[in-house]
Amino acid sequence: MADITKALNLDELASKDSPIHRLDGRIKLISTVFIIVIAAFSNNIFIPIILEIFLLIIIKIAKLSYIDSFKRIALLLPFGGAIIIFQPFIHPGNILWSYSWIKITDTGLNWAILLITRMIVSLTSIVILSSTSPMQQIVASFRRLKMPKDLAMILSIMVRFLFVFIDELAAIRKSQKSRNFHIHSKLTPYKWRIKQVGYSIAMMFVKSYEQGERVYKSMISRGFSDKSDLFNEKTSLEKSDYIYISTIIILVIILQIIIIKYSNQLGYFGENLSIN
Amino acid sequence: MHIPDGFIPFWQCAIYYIILIIGLYFASKWARENLDEKRIPLLAVLAAGIFAIMSMNMPIPFGTSGHMVGGALVAIIFCAPEAAILVFTVVLLIQALVFGDGGITALGANVLNMAIIGGCTGLYTFKALKGKLGIYASAGIGAWLATVVAALACAIEMAIAGTFPLTVGIASMVTYHIFIGIIEAVLTVIVLMALDKFRPDLLIWNKNRIEGGE
Repeated sequence: MADITKALNLDELASKDSPIHRLDGRIKLISTVFIIVIAAFSNNIFIPIILEIFLLIIIKIAKLSYIDSFKRIALLLPFGGAIIIFQPFIHPGNILWSYSWIKITDTGLNWAILLITRMIVSLTSIVILSSTSPMQQIVASFRRLKMPKDLAMILSIMVRFLFVFIDELAAIRKSQKSRNFHIHSKLTPYKWRIKQVGYSIAMMFVKSYEQGERVYKSMISRGFSDKSDLFNEKTSLEKSDYIYISTIIILVIILQIIIIKYSNQLGYFGENLSIN
Repeated sequence: MHIPDGFIPFWQCAIYYIILIIGLYFASKWARENLDEKRIPLLAVLAAGIFAIMSMNMPIPFGTSGHMVGGALVAIIFCAPEAAILVFTVVLLIQALVFGDGGITALGANVLNMAIIGGCTGLYTFKALKGKLGIYASAGIGAWLATVVAALACAIEMAIAGTFPLTVGIASMVTYHIFIGIIEAVLTVIVLMALDKFRPDLLIWNKNRIEGGE
């Protein structure tokens, strides 16, 4: 699980300025989801690799640091990575390498390579989205894209309060640390440690519930009712927004045409590596 | 337990999304009928709290740390799995889009495992055992079972997707969560005990008692 205290740095990063930061939130959201869908369901590594190169150029245009972006991607790999690492060993196919009962098959290895490229492209686009658009902008884009009212409102209020709780969490951690509390400390009984964690979770829960009630009361006193709707600022799309989204769509169409027509000339890159 | 992008093929993702949409339909219907107009700000701020709770490390022996899922906890507090669906949809959406934790194409599957399957297993185990074993023991068993069954569902989904064979999936993922589940269970019970002590009115099972007493 990503540490949410990093969200503060993220929003700071997202408030900088670059041609990508200035794009409309909706365009960034749609293009991120579009790229992920194309990459996640692609059967060859050609399309994900070209998309990744495209995303690397976008990182440059967005004036983001390559090192920081790669660090964030690396931090997100573990769960998926743990599953991918087993792939070469568990699928039937031609044996490439074996040592007693351990064997690596070509099908398994290809599948692992495909999964890792899919995953890296998805994570790169998420890193670009979250480092170029503040969370509020992402949420506002959902609203403008006609997300159901109830859900959109829950989402907007949640994101607003997330930062309050990040501070709260940081305060709890700091005070625990100042009293030498550590979840892996051997100096205290395990039972006691787990109880402390339980209490801080319960405190977070009570605090969030009470905050929720206070928010509700202050919203009521400002005229909130069941029929209230959130105000959506009307912004029109600029020329750059159209250029950005159409570049991505044209790129994907060209890639699909290349794969359909010339896949046999691409060698390994054009091969269907998927097993499902 | 967050399934990333690219692990589940298109048509299966579509099925999980359809399940998610049906779940959300029932969840918002439930919220409208049971939580009055207070529901939106309350659920929203609660979701932010759950988000923070999910990023708190819990101590696991052998020096590793995991995090609490809390699907069973939310379902038991509200006595409704629908609450878990609403809270987890927004939490997992932001986790996927901003933190890259869990895939956006796998959102349906992740909500299904952690909120729908986890929440229902936790709550109905709790309800079934409450009379015999008492509130806390049954909540603990519910939370443990919710974690294990959610991991099992995750392993089955991966097996259907062809990404991970079922036997290996069960052997690794489920065995791991059998242990993690114990800590989840203990934490769930501690949280419920603390809530019962500080704010008994928040627990739905106390509601009738309090209202009857007033």
